[in-house]
Amino acid sequence: MSEPKHHANRPEHALPAGNRASLGILAIFIIFVVAVPKNNLPAVIAYGAFPLFVITASRISLRLIMNRLLVISPFVLFMAAGNLYFDRQPIFDAWNVSVTGGMISAGVIAAKSFVTISALLVYSHSVPFHRFGNALRAWGVPELFATQLQLVYRYSFMLGDEARSLQKARDLRSFGHKGKDIRTTAQLIGSLLVRSSLRAEKIYMAMSARGFGNSLASHQKEPFTMRDAITVLLTTTGFLTVWIVFVPKP
Amino acid sequence: MHMSDALISPAVGGAFWAVSGGLIAWSIKKSSLDQDGRKTALMGVLGAFVFAAQMINFTIPGTGSSGHLGGGLLLTVLLGPHRAFIALASVLVIQSLFFADGGLLALGCNIFNLAFFPAFLAYPFLYRTIAGNSLSPARLGAASMTAATAGLLMGACFVVLQTTVSGISELPFGTFMLFMLPIHFAIGIVEGLVTWAVVAFVAATEPSLLTMQKKPENKRFLTPAVFILMALVTGGTLAWFASSHPDGLEWSMARVSGREEIEGRHEPVHGMLSSIQEKIAFLPDYGFRSTGDGTSDSSDPVSPVNPGTSVSGIAGSLMVLVLAGAIGLFTGAGRRKTEKTGE
Repeated sequence: MSEPKHHANRPEHALPAGNRASLGILAIFIIFVVAVPKNNLPAVIAYGAFPLFVITASRISLRLIMNRLLVISPFVLFMAAGNLYFDRQPIFDAWNVSVTGGMISAGVIAAKSFVTISALLVYSHSVPFHRFGNALRAWGVPELFATQLQLVYRYSFMLGDEARSLQKARDLRSFGHKGKDIRTTAQLIGSLLVRSSLRAEKIYMAMSARGFGNSLASHQKEPFTMRDAITVLLTTTGFLTVWIVFVPKP
Repeated sequence: MHMSDALISPAVGGAFWAVSGGLIAWSIKKSSLDQDGRKTALMGVLGAFVFAAQMINFTIPGTGSSGHLGGGLLLTVLLGPHRAFIALASVLVIQSLFFADGGLLALGCNIFNLAFFPAFLAYPFLYRTIAGNSLSPARLGAASMTAATAGLLMGACFVVLQTTVSGISELPFGTFMLFMLPIHFAIGIVEGLVTWAVVAFVAATEPSLLTMQKKPENKRFLTPAVFILMALVTGGTLAWFASSHPDGLEWSMARVSGREEIEGRHEPVHGMLSSIQEKIAFLPDYGFRSTGDGTSDSSDPVSPVNPGTSVSGIAGSLMVLVLAGAIGLFTGAGRRKTEKTGE
């Protein structure tokens, strides 16, 4: 598993805000979407305009996002189906079809899932991982955790390639399902584990030789600029406006 | 079992962010006590290993479908609870933000459900108790299967609780629980089998990887902790499936008198005692107190899941444990006093 192409060709400067502000905007957006009442489909659709705007403005490939969105979690689909089944009270009729409360709340679950996942994907396609690490440090996340995240991300692609090679070698030697049982696979995983721990030892020695002191931070804490503040303020006002227009007061 | 943002409310998401954030901070504090850069590198690489190992599929016996390793318990066995919790949390953060697997607001819930239970409950109270420091395959197997299944079941229970409390889903609590628990029981057994096989492989080829952790200093608290855990599971969930048929005494009375319970004599003392009992019994008939209109509680009459039974089971188990502990302390104190006097 090499690092995906879209990661290598990210529109790094597409976002008008710094690392810390862009992560903050993402969090505020998700809180607004999640807080939409369970029967208010128009509000969720209106919030969907935000990730769509960022996709078009930052020239991220829409196809990449759509491919990932099509694989909606089976758990979310199960919950939506549960609402369809358990809430069959008709709310209104549209073109001779009786629309039930369950249909609307299931639609809201699917739409919220679609919109929040789009926002996360847009973020991950716009912000390189080292900038995400710096954003966490700027928000005061402990250094050990930020370093851990960067190490996991960095080595997951390398070990992923190794896992794929192991799996391919096993599949080439397997006939039907022979050799794909738990016991054989566990030995492959165990072998990958032993190799990983040896690799960790080498990595530590190499990092120590370069002066590693339990931290991968190379920059000073990023300041929260006036531009960041204005961007956060403007986007939050936008989210609030959608809320006022689409979410009626109880 | 990754929760999506669409299934939780901001209050539940925020609360579990606070809980998981606190647990991460505590684990970092504990891990930072030994400033060992070697372990930092190992944590990072083993976190990445979990990602990689999840790509290797295996055939699940008897189903024809395929599955992959979850890795929570395995990572805890290798790194210990605090470092494993940090490593698992970092894997979940990356899965959420960079692979859109699990939501951002739901991240606190996901860290709690998938990392807290294997790292801080299943491993220290089940795995270590059963396996100890032994590398024998039988003990490793029993420890892996029990801890992996218990960890997953506890996580699944919390998924149901978090979703129900959020109020997004129309699924009744009992139906949802009955759907989640058997599936996660089966997943837990498979996870336990794979963890066992991997741990046994490592024990045979590179045993130093399994003995990196210090031996627990004080085992005195492990036995009570396991009993508390078992009591909570039995009282909280297994009690739903208790038989509703009469017990031996009721059955005998029914055969003799035609009624399961014999009515007491209408004397003032009986009446007074019965009224006191009614007042102090806060969970009459192992359920919530009846409301004025005659309904007992909000449980589904068809489903065996009953919150009143769970609360009664948990409260009863804890009271018995406290009482038994108090009696033990009292008799122990008495014996120590006698020994001192004898000296």
